[in-house]
Amino acid sequence: MRKMVPRIAKAVIKGLLYFVLLYVVPMFLVSQASAFAPRLFSDYAQVVTLFAAVIIFFAVASELTSGTIFQHALNIGKALILIIFFVVALDGGIVRLDLNIQEGFPISIIADLRVYLMMLIAIDLMGLAKSVLQAINFLSETVEKQVPQPLPTD
Amino acid sequence: MKQAARALGWATSILWIILLFFTITVVYSAFQIRPSFKTEPSVSILDDTLIVSLPFILYNGGFYDISKFNITTMIREDAGLTIARSSTLVPTIPKGADTSITHNMSLGIGQLATDDLSYLLFNDSELHVAAVLRLTYANAFPFEIGLNSSMPWGAPLSNLTIGDISGSSFAPLSFENHSYFEMSGTVRLEIVNNGGHVVGEGTTAFYAPPESRFEKDIAVTLSGSPRNVAEVRVHFQTAFFNYGPVVIPVAWE
Repeated sequence: MRKMVPRIAKAVIKGLLYFVLLYVVPMFLVSQASAFAPRLFSDYAQVVTLFAAVIIFFAVASELTSGTIFQHALNIGKALILIIFFVVALDGGIVRLDLNIQEGFPISIIADLRVYLMMLIAIDLMGLAKSVLQAINFLSETVEKQVPQPLPTD
Repeated sequence: MKQAARALGWATSILWIILLFFTITVVYSAFQIRPSFKTEPSVSILDDTLIVSLPFILYNGGFYDISKFNITTMIREDAGLTIARSSTLVPTIPKGADTSITHNMSLGIGQLATDDLSYLLFNDSELHVAAVLRLTYANAFPFEIGLNSSMPWGAPLSNLTIGDISGSSFAPLSFENHSYFEMSGTVRLEIVNNGGHVVGEGTTAFYAPPESRFEKDIAVTLSGSPRNVAEVRVHFQTAFFNYGPVVIPVAWE
């Protein structure tokens, strides 16, 4: 239990930090950017919330399971889920927004975010590679600890 | 392996920070782009083309350049036929600068005299205006913004009628100019009898400013009885177009 308290405290702090960074700050920036921005991003508020929830969940879970293989498994899972999340959230890179600001005056906005999606996936794949290497390293270190050490010879 | 994982970890963290910074600055910058319409749109006529000029200033207050800025406007009639298509391209709008842009929409009035569009000469209608704005922001994000609207079209020869020609020496002609432009030129009448032969003619000049009604008794030379007249064929010759004949049947009670 004594070991768990600092972990839980660390997980809570990390969760709060991610919540502020990934949810509070973006929402504040959107509300401050212009009067038009909140309406433009209203459809994406749910996506931002879900993204923040996924990151916070994995950050807290990873912290709570640190020092075990589950930590690395969770990190690998996070990287894979994020890749799927980015592809789904950005509609494969082509985002379309239909606005009807004035009656009879529809506006459609199409953003080609394929380059951005590639950047996100590339960075996420690096994270995935790191997690896999850490998992392999963790397993090899565990096995090394279990193998009896050779006795020193004269 | 530990070192490789650590190096990847550092690289990932640094790239996430760079991407986050880039994302925030791009979104913030995009909302610092402000168009201002200080000069009123103007309408001018060059030869047979009606030109609507839309001048505006685009202030790019963000951190990134805008490139390949392109405005395309299309005017379509009710059936979907494109009447006019105009495009304005600005290669680069640098960051922190005002750029003056004038988009000219050209409408060839002469083409209204073609078969597919001639109904627009006589009937008021609704024209559909589609504007597409394309740009590349921060050299990475192509955007396309589409706007759809409609505008009323006023027919330049609305309610074209020929009055009672039983007087044999005058043919009363009238129409209403509902359009935005002045109509002037000559109108020629051909009076055709039941046998299909031209039995009378008359020509006159006309001038009809926008939103006005033109009425004139046109002197005609008619051979034979007016009772044998079956139809009047009207030919228009204006600065914008030549159109005719418009066949107006004459009904006798």
